[in-house]
Amino acid sequence: MLTCDDYITPASLDEAFDAMAAHRSHYRIVAGATDTLPWAREGRAGDVHIPVLIDVTKIHELLHISVGDKRVRLGAATPIQRFLDDTNLARSLPAMPRCAVWFADDQIRAQATIGGNIVNASPAADATPCLIAHEAEVELAKKSGGKITRRRMKLDQFVTGPNRTELEEGELLVGVECDALPGCGGSFEKVGHRRSLVISLVCLATLVKLDGKGRYIEDVRLSIAGIGPKPLRLNEIENFLRRGPVSAERFNQAADMPVSLVASRTRQEYRREVVRGFVLRGLINAARAAGAKPDTLTPELEAAYA
Amino acid sequence: MPDLQFQATINGRKISRSAKPHQRLLDFIRDDLNLTGNKEGCGAGECGTCSVFVDGTLMKSCLLPVAKAQGTTIETVEALAKTGELSVLQKAFHKTGASQCGYCIPGMVMAATAALRTNPFADREEIKERLGGNICRCTGYQKIFDAVELARDVQNGTLPASALMEDEAESGDFIGKNVRRIDTPSKVSGRLKYAADMTMPGMLHVQVLRSPYAHARIVSIDTSAAEAIEGVAGIITSADVPGEDGFGVFVNDQPVMAQDKVRYVGEAVAAVAAEDLLIAKRALSSINVIYAPLPSVFDPEEALCPGAPVLHDYAPDNVTKHIPIRVGDTEKGFAESDLVIEETYSTQPIEHAYLEPEAGLTYVDHDGVVTIVSPDQNITHHRHMLARIIAKPISKVRFIMSPVGGGFGGKEDMIYQGMLALLAMKTQRPVRLVFTREDSIISTAKRHPSRTVLRMGLMRDGRIRALRMKMICDGGAYGLSTEGVMRKAAILAAGPYVIPNVRVDTFGIYTNNTPSGAFRSFGALQTAFATESHLDICAERLGLDPFQIRRINAMRDGALTHTKAKLGSVSLMRALDALEKASGWETGAPTSRGEIRGDLDRPDIRPPCALGARFAAAEKREAAE
Ligand SMILES: Cc1cc2nc3c(=O)[nH]c(=O)nc-3n(C[C@H](O)[C@H](O)[C@H](O)COP(=O)(O)OP(=O)(O)OC[C@H]3O[C@@H](n4cnc5c(N)ncnc54)[C@H](O)[C@@H]3O)c2cc1C
Ligand code: FES
Ligand code: FES
Repeated sequence: MLTCDDYITPASLDEAFDAMAAHRSHYRIVAGATDTLPWAREGRAGDVHIPVLIDVTKIHELLHISVGDKRVRLGAATPIQRFLDDTNLARSLPAMPRCAVWFADDQIRAQATIGGNIVNASPAADATPCLIAHEAEVELAKKSGGKITRRRMKLDQFVTGPNRTELEEGELLVGVECDALPGCGGSFEKVGHRRSLVISLVCLATLVKLDGKGRYIEDVRLSIAGIGPKPLRLNEIENFLRRGPVSAERFNQAADMPVSLVASRTRQEYRREVVRGFVLRGLINAARAAGAKPDTLTPELEAAYA
Repeated sequence: MPDLQFQATINGRKISRSAKPHQRLLDFIRDDLNLTGNKEGCGAGECGTCSVFVDGTLMKSCLLPVAKAQGTTIETVEALAKTGELSVLQKAFHKTGASQCGYCIPGMVMAATAALRTNPFADREEIKERLGGNICRCTGYQKIFDAVELARDVQNGTLPASALMEDEAESGDFIGKNVRRIDTPSKVSGRLKYAADMTMPGMLHVQVLRSPYAHARIVSIDTSAAEAIEGVAGIITSADVPGEDGFGVFVNDQPVMAQDKVRYVGEAVAAVAAEDLLIAKRALSSINVIYAPLPSVFDPEEALCPGAPVLHDYAPDNVTKHIPIRVGDTEKGFAESDLVIEETYSTQPIEHAYLEPEAGLTYVDHDGVVTIVSPDQNITHHRHMLARIIAKPISKVRFIMSPVGGGFGGKEDMIYQGMLALLAMKTQRPVRLVFTREDSIISTAKRHPSRTVLRMGLMRDGRIRALRMKMICDGGAYGLSTEGVMRKAAILAAGPYVIPNVRVDTFGIYTNNTPSGAFRSFGALQTAFATESHLDICAERLGLDPFQIRRINAMRDGALTHTKAKLGSVSLMRALDALEKASGWETGAPTSRGEIRGDLDRPDIRPPCALGARFAAAEKREAAE
């Protein structure tokens, strides 16, 4: 059970930093609280008392979303459900809705934020690898000497390992900026102990951009989580496939490539199998969503991995 | 520190009240507003029965700090049938029989309401997906989905409102008709009070101190610091038991709280009643128990070895119960057989996970009657045991069975009612204990894990000549229902098959694991798993179809079971026929098929769940526009 003496809901970044300064080392940030509340239960942290909880979900800047031609900016407190409800956003970030539909459930998605998913840095977090596939950069802010300063870094560098990030003391994650990729096909493959409402054992986000004829791959991105301490971009596979044809043979070859990357401590054999299948299925689903010509993918391949 | 002035509109009414800053919205609506329709099943976002609308969006109120709902408009399940008239959806749940224990139902009705508000034309796949955050342990979901589809069609006018009404009996015959259950309106509306929904004036809150050790001697328990905390009304340990301590279903080997030693992690050691939950929790952490760890044993086969740690003095061999069955001469039967096959099978412990965690409210009434209200599956037996434990005549002990939010056998044991009785007697105030999901999992019975060695002798034509089975079950630290489970397991071990020579031994063994107890099928699952798996293996070896080997050996009308019960009629052949037909079974020995079976992927077989039904629905809508 989580207890606190005070629950503060700042309306602006300034107010938030002032509260953080006033309660230095006695506070904890909460966004959706969907990781924080279950954490404070028996079997995990147990009963926890945190003097002050500072809720960042009413800060305007953290809620703001802007969709440009090249880049999309998401406030850190964007709830996951937004990727399903906001069609404009969904079009620009094609893998995110697929990720969102596998993420928790309708209720929790309305509350869980991308910022919480990133900072919690679970190796099973779903939004993080998907954002990485969209070339996400995080924007961090802190206040010192009465001035708010900001810095940016690539999301895949920000997350450094299980529950570890580059977030500094007194710093907030304010936003995430990603590539706008309308016209790309996106997919999200996920496996856990059950289908609904489950955290990932392995998940893979795939984005594919095809030429006008639906036969050649102009761009491709794959990002995977659950096979090691942090999410990974599968650069070698991307390089192998980029500017090549859409074909069953090439997808199969690609699927055989990343298995050596499986570094998780448990169920290695199983994860290798899953990764092989996911790369294949992810590429097929994303290519299909990107408008691949039906004859480029053999029916056997589709049947086996649909 | 500052309380919160919480303002919101709840079910159409404005409220302004002070709330604790750490309170969850669920606690606030249930405890402070007494709106107990929405329940707590897990407290961790997993089950959905706490779902409420916040500004029109469905959310899990167990994950929502109340401060997050400041200034919002909230609808709880009570809002759906505000004037007493059930909503179309609630009526549809009533019609299709979608509610059983009812504990998940408030959340289900809310999630279904949200689904149809979002997409009034949602198809079954989309409905399933949108109800994906809600767990039901009773119904298997199909009737719930039926209800949502029915409500959708009535709302959209494709079915008349009369479709919600009860089916008419056909010349007095209700078989095959949807007869509405009379308890459903109370469940779909949230009006039914489960034990955790009940309160009494002056009620105290109970928390239980549990053993962190699997096996340890209790050297001392010091409650003085906890007693001194303001707001603590009473603390009990085993020393407070006035009568003859000990409960169980067959042997009374379990004390209300650990006496001289603890035998499993999670065993109750002391209990506190206090003015509120936080004080009770604080008191627990101030109780000082000194343990001297003892060697423990976690594997029942090791527990049988000479020199293994002994759990109970009365059972120096750690055997809780051995049930033998002997029919004919199995050695002769194996010698006569064309083929003898032996395999080993094992099953794991399983938690019942009924959606309602245990809870109980207890008070001593005006006549001095100790009254226990709890979802208890065995109140008469418990009443007798408790009278002995608290040394009162039976007329001074009363058990009231509150609605059981799922039990499946897991609420047959008097795990916590004894502590409540002692605390109510000690404090002379009403006391209530509500388990968290974690309490429930750590302290209550599981299905017996088993290891079975099964040897079967068969003739080439498939007739079984002999069966020998030895099953060893982990009964955990206390007896509970182990004896009965072993008996039922043994009786059903050889299945509904004519076998002339049978030798069965089932053993329930004490270990330092969580006690095992009653669970649906009561032992039949473990032995049937072994016997039925074995028959498939035998069929494969003999080149027989698995249905055929069962038909060859099936008991028929008038058969005598292995324990000499005469069966007037046996429906096995009919069941096999129905099963074969319904499954579209591809006839033949298991070895006769190639890589891929012909009876898979048929349109009437449910495909694996793949989320994304809402995308398909959106595409269809776009195409239509
Ligand atoms: C039943 C259930 C199912 C779930 N299913 C999934 C799933 O399928 N996939 C998945 O990935 N996750 C899942 N989760 C986990 C969780 O919902 C997500 O990780 C979610 O994104 C966390 O976001 P939040 O806003 O709720 O985090 P919070 O609990 O509010 O915060 C998490 C951590 O991040 C920090 N933090 C949050 N925001 C900021 C910020 N702006 N700046 C600095 N620090 C910050 C907090 O201090 C805290 O340490 C599930 C959780 C539950 C309870
Ligand atoms: S989801 Fe809230 S009680 Fe289970
Ligand atoms: S009716 Fe759903 S849990 Fe019992």
